[in-house]
Amino acid sequence: MTALVFDRRRATRTLLWLLLGAVVVLYAFPFVYLVLTSFKLPTDVISVPPMFLPKTWTLANFHAALSAPGVPAALLHSLEAASISTVLSLLLAVPAAYGVTRYGTVPGQVFIMGALVARMVPPVAIGVPLVGIMNSVGLNDSSLGLAIAHTTISLPLSIWLMASYLDAVPVELDEAARVDGASRIGALWRVVMPVAAGGIAVTAIFAFLASWNEFLFALLLTSIHAQTMPVVIANFQTQYGLQWGTMTALATIYSVPVVLLSLFLQRRIVAGLTLGAVKG
Amino acid sequence: MEGSSESDGSKLSRGTFLKMGGAAGLALALPASAGAAVRRVAKAGAGSISVVCEAGGKAELTKIAQLFQKQTGTTVNLVELPYAGLYDRINGELSSGSLSFDVAALDVIWMPAFAGALHSVDQLFTPAVKADLFPSLVSGAQIGGKYVGMPVFTNSEILFYRKDLFGSSKEQKAFQSRYGYPLAPPKTWQQFDDVARFFSRGPKLYGTDVKGAVETEWLAHVLQAGSPGVVLDKSGKVIIDNPQHQAALAFYANLHNKYKVDPAGAPQTDWAAAQNLFQQGRTAMMRFWAHAYPLIPKNSPVYGKVGVAPMIAGKAGIAGIPGPWYLSVPEKGNNTALAMEFLKFSYDHNALAVQSSLGLAARKSAFAHYQNQPKYAHFRPLLETLSAKATVGRPANPKWQQIVDTVLVPMLQKSVTGKADYAALLKSARSDVQRLVG
Amino acid sequence: MAPAALFLAVFVAWPLVKLLLDSLYQIAPLAGTKRYVGFGNYRNALSSPEFVGSAERTAIYTGIVVSLELTLGLATALLFNTLGRRSRVLRTVFLYPLMIAPIVAGLLWRFLLIDNFGIVNELLTRVGILHTPAAISWLSDPNIVLFSVGLPDIWLTTSFMSLVLFAGLQNIPGELLEAARIDGANARQRFTWIVLPLLRPVIAVAVIVRGIDAARAFDVILIQTNGGPQQKSETLSLLIYQTMIRYGDPGLASAMSVMYLLAMLVTAAVALATIWRPGRSQA
Repeated sequence: MTALVFDRRRATRTLLWLLLGAVVVLYAFPFVYLVLTSFKLPTDVISVPPMFLPKTWTLANFHAALSAPGVPAALLHSLEAASISTVLSLLLAVPAAYGVTRYGTVPGQVFIMGALVARMVPPVAIGVPLVGIMNSVGLNDSSLGLAIAHTTISLPLSIWLMASYLDAVPVELDEAARVDGASRIGALWRVVMPVAAGGIAVTAIFAFLASWNEFLFALLLTSIHAQTMPVVIANFQTQYGLQWGTMTALATIYSVPVVLLSLFLQRRIVAGLTLGAVKG
Repeated sequence: MEGSSESDGSKLSRGTFLKMGGAAGLALALPASAGAAVRRVAKAGAGSISVVCEAGGKAELTKIAQLFQKQTGTTVNLVELPYAGLYDRINGELSSGSLSFDVAALDVIWMPAFAGALHSVDQLFTPAVKADLFPSLVSGAQIGGKYVGMPVFTNSEILFYRKDLFGSSKEQKAFQSRYGYPLAPPKTWQQFDDVARFFSRGPKLYGTDVKGAVETEWLAHVLQAGSPGVVLDKSGKVIIDNPQHQAALAFYANLHNKYKVDPAGAPQTDWAAAQNLFQQGRTAMMRFWAHAYPLIPKNSPVYGKVGVAPMIAGKAGIAGIPGPWYLSVPEKGNNTALAMEFLKFSYDHNALAVQSSLGLAARKSAFAHYQNQPKYAHFRPLLETLSAKATVGRPANPKWQQIVDTVLVPMLQKSVTGKADYAALLKSARSDVQRLVG
Repeated sequence: MAPAALFLAVFVAWPLVKLLLDSLYQIAPLAGTKRYVGFGNYRNALSSPEFVGSAERTAIYTGIVVSLELTLGLATALLFNTLGRRSRVLRTVFLYPLMIAPIVAGLLWRFLLIDNFGIVNELLTRVGILHTPAAISWLSDPNIVLFSVGLPDIWLTTSFMSLVLFAGLQNIPGELLEAARIDGANARQRFTWIVLPLLRPVIAVAVIVRGIDAARAFDVILIQTNGGPQQKSETLSLLIYQTMIRYGDPGLASAMSVMYLLAMLVTAAVALATIWRPGRSQA
């Protein structure tokens, strides 16, 4: 009797494992297919019927992608804007979150609510007014201007995440530092920050990704000197044809680094993702 | 490397690669030194001008720009933007008045919208110049009595067909016995229908494609049917439901609805999709822009098997929609004199454009110079289509782009869904267009 | 707090004020003219079938995407939870689409679903679900396109749902479930009476976060269909973008944006007020 129950339970578990395996394979398939396709001959990319594995492995698409005008520059611009935006986002979010968690609750709550409302604003709504503002301060078509725009997206989330992390740092720590004669900022910098380093890293990753993957602001705010990869990828379809092979290569080049990043930093990212929602 | 047979040198030079690597390293090493990243909008100095253009325009202008630089010492920066991005960018900069370019390459359909913010180029249109340009090119440049652009190149749809299929004696016999006349590249709508049906043997081979996501091809058929204009007549009256528009729509959509000669996905088939299908050997014929002829990749299954002929003819004969691009100078530019000089220079050396990957030009004399070389086999059909009596340009209406996006394309997409009522579709399109043009 | 507040004020609040002002004018950017029209733009927007239609489509799109993500996310979260620690490697695989740019995801799915050479239909045909690869035109059939353009979003962020819900499941005390089991509750009863109610706040937060993002969908759809065919996949973000940039009517576009933003704020605020206590209460 017990053996039978045990067997049935084992069978169910095996079935569940198989089910999960199938889900994961389905989930991984699109990206695997993208990467495989980028190694096909340009004409095989659009062959009918489609093939899964490349018939002939070739780097032709990557050559075409990297020698296309604007592509190497766009990769740099993406990196530039994302780096600036990450730094900016942290510089603003860490003190703000510290303020929220250490000072009075009412302004803090109002502020957090304000930041959340800011997150709801559709980029398309503030995109065009932002273009005007950037124009008037001379930041149109610059990585700094774009980074500022991207920070409007990542800042609310960064503040929210940092507030959650700093909340977990005991107030006694910075009080001890203040007794030793440190200023508020000094306490934050020397005592609280090192404790919350993990949280800062997660926040940085999210801020970086928000900018790295953003499209609309990049489309509106940049043209020549700061155009990022998402725009270049989107615009690869010209009036004179659509090179699927080159596009898959571009997409691969742009995604593989962040996918690898996600695999290395898996645990931290999961922690950051679930923090806000689960604790709320 | 297998891929090195691609049309333009797809090899990544070692130098570029090293530069890229170095630059990437640098950017990482200097963690976002914000100051360095701030770049003011490039104001072109006295010794240089910048030209915004689309990928095709860049190819066309590169040689001309190099020669200009050599002869005058003025640097020409060709800034390439994608088609939609180019329109949005020029629109934005002309609106805000903060200009990053001295010369812009414009699609003819954008000219009416931008004309008010463009510098007059009347002085360049001498009688000799006008005589060497196709009439539709001259009229496209003139908005409200003022010339606002100098043509760089023009294009039109022509007929592409598979020489190997049309030349096969087995196919010829079969066609003759079924339709009672010899198999040849079709010249009329009727012949086009016949041949398309004849070659439809899905899923491996179809007669042709039906493009639901672009409007120009249907408009060419409208002209072939003898309509005095497309969508609007010369006085701006909406004529989209006249009998010629109806005939053209029936011809266009019946290929899909009645004869089913096209591969799946007509509603979202655009230029790129049609071109891919033809280059994969999936369609026996394709109505397409002439420039595609030299662009068929060497590793395509149809390489060397493609023939070209003029666009097909309706009741009013052959007709195509001209697709010219112009160079224009903004009214509030910083370098107007130099920019105008470049416009004149590009006209004088227009023949150089033919040697580009796009291989098109604007001047009749430039086309004539090359038309007998086999590489330029598409020139004769192109010239014949462009010089046809029924060929006229699209209406000069500032709302044209909006008419296309919100009325024409959705209407065509509806027309290729099974049992469409063509007359009713055109009638409702009429009221939509009316609403837009006021 | 002050620098961040100032930053948000300058780069979010100020553009919003400008938007509000612009929405009261009829603006012709190329001609450089500006004319006060009061609520004229709002009236025009509300009476235009494009605006009403795309508002509806935005709501439907958001509904489809979020409910599918929730269902799939909950199912996989339960799987992960049942299978325990050893499923961690698979959770890692599940995570990766979150990192991919929406534009890339849209492009990729367009390629997977494309007519004639898309691999999805080919595979469905091989396993016998479809008779021929041409049987479904995912992105060119106006009746299903709104669903098809949501696939990349579902693929991208089901893992978010899944991971959030998984974390929520882990927080449910094991003793509670054990006690219920001893009391004779079967798996389904335990799920309905214990797991779901305890998970409710987490679900609510996840749905709001995802709902806000889905309602703003722009790049994913733009690259797949550009709103077509027959504008059947045109959502508000796309319509506003086109009205603003391509058709050069910033006044009308601003009025649309204002209404869009208000609708989102109201929806989110109602949801927030009922289930989410912001600020320190989370500790």
